[in-house]
Amino acid sequence: MPNRKAVHAELYSPGAADQPVLNGGQCRACGYVFFPPQRYGCESCGAPPERLEAVELRGRGRLHSYATVHLYQGKDIVAPFTVGLIVLDDGPAIRSMLTERTDAGFAIGDRMASVLVAAGTDPEGNEMVELRFARAGAGQ
Amino acid sequence: MKKNFRDMRPVYVVGIGLHRYQRLSETPYVTLGLTAVREALADAAVEWRSVESAYTGTALIGMAASRPMLRHLGATGIPMAQVENASASGSTAFRQACIDVASGLTDVSLAVGVDKPGPVAMAPGKTRMRDLVGSRVVPFTHFALLTQEYMTRYGGSAEQIALVAVKNNRNGANNPYSQRQKAVTLDEVMAGPAISGTLTRLQCCPVGEGAAAVIVASDDAITQLGIDRNRAVKVIASVTRTERVYRDAKNFDAELTRETVEQAYREAGVAPGDLDLIELHDAFTIEELLYVEAMGLCTTGKAAGAIAAGDFDIGGRCAVSASGGLLAMGHPIGPTGAGQIVEITRQLRGEAGVRQQPNAKTGLAHMVGVGAVCVVHILRKDV
Repeated sequence: MPNRKAVHAELYSPGAADQPVLNGGQCRACGYVFFPPQRYGCESCGAPPERLEAVELRGRGRLHSYATVHLYQGKDIVAPFTVGLIVLDDGPAIRSMLTERTDAGFAIGDRMASVLVAAGTDPEGNEMVELRFARAGAGQ
Repeated sequence: MKKNFRDMRPVYVVGIGLHRYQRLSETPYVTLGLTAVREALADAAVEWRSVESAYTGTALIGMAASRPMLRHLGATGIPMAQVENASASGSTAFRQACIDVASGLTDVSLAVGVDKPGPVAMAPGKTRMRDLVGSRVVPFTHFALLTQEYMTRYGGSAEQIALVAVKNNRNGANNPYSQRQKAVTLDEVMAGPAISGTLTRLQCCPVGEGAAAVIVASDDAITQLGIDRNRAVKVIASVTRTERVYRDAKNFDAELTRETVEQAYREAGVAPGDLDLIELHDAFTIEELLYVEAMGLCTTGKAAGAIAAGDFDIGGRCAVSASGGLLAMGHPIGPTGAGQIVEITRQLRGEAGVRQQPNAKTGLAHMVGVGAVCVVHILRKDV
């Protein structure tokens, strides 16, 4: 992905075949899989950082809920936009921006897939990309 | 040997006071707090010099809030500390005052909640663990997501959920200490500016300023100070818990409340059907449905019907948010949990006027806070 940079490179990676993956973690002591990644200790069993390992979580899951945000005071994007709660096939429930500005047409239970969308350019002229979720195509 | 709250000395609420919850004004926090404390002292007919410890529930004012306020009652040298526990700061301050009396460390203690809106540094933002959405998801969107999930899973409509705001604003309209003192129709709630998902402005609590004060005392103090025993309300459970990892459940808010309330029921020896009134964390309408179900007042998915049937109205089987709740009375953060104790005490004494829940004997106060934490107290008026 030359000249394309993730807005939050610690959270996601381009992955193979243009299917971006999430950078999660797993506890080798108890098996707990988590996102976002951290190196402090296992929330589930208390295992120390050296027992935590980085794992790639597939950008595939099911839509658990969604909401169109109408009121937003940040400057980075303009409301309305839509947030989804997605239960990844690999375990964790995560909240992500959806690709559509409103929730029209979404239904709880929809299959979802991660995508990278354009998010402006940085001062060096690199194209920035941000991970969001879209309704998955057939068979995903 | 480990004890639970009821194994220690009995604790009674003997004095309550409030400064009205209101939009941010020029009034110093000192004035807000002193107004509530002086009202509570007068209510108890107790002098300040009888108070032996003080806890200030506050999250927004800043470091060292207590003595610069309370010294104006006379600097008696008593122990004072600030208690910050997010939205449950006032509830936790109350718990600390109760523990002082229950343990025998003091005979009379004060919990006061006071806050004014202002910039606040949130520690969770300093963990260097960011997620995908960051500040694009604030509490109202967290609860908008739970609203959509609830409607889909249980078939409730946006209007049924919005009825919580109609009920609680009706109660708040009769509370002179409420920030919102105007009854609203369902149409007005639904027509309000959209905030997030199906939540409209009137389905989100106002965050303003105010203060709430509670004086707790032991049996000995009630006797020695000549406090009116007929107006004393007993604290029969004090429980606080924090969120665990709920591997299968996606609704952590409901799970945390369920665990905390169940422990409080066990300690108090009460069942959901014993409750005559509840003040709960209705910062957003959906929360009332989730929590009354988690508290066992109705089966999961049935809260919307129970609200529509008037079960949780004043005069219903259990009045929920008779004060107006966070939605109407307001949520100034530090005062909120202490203010719940004020309302329950007033109700159990039979002094709530037009808001009175008939024959109220047992009440439950519930707050949750970012983190996540949950604090529950159960109060009872012995006849």
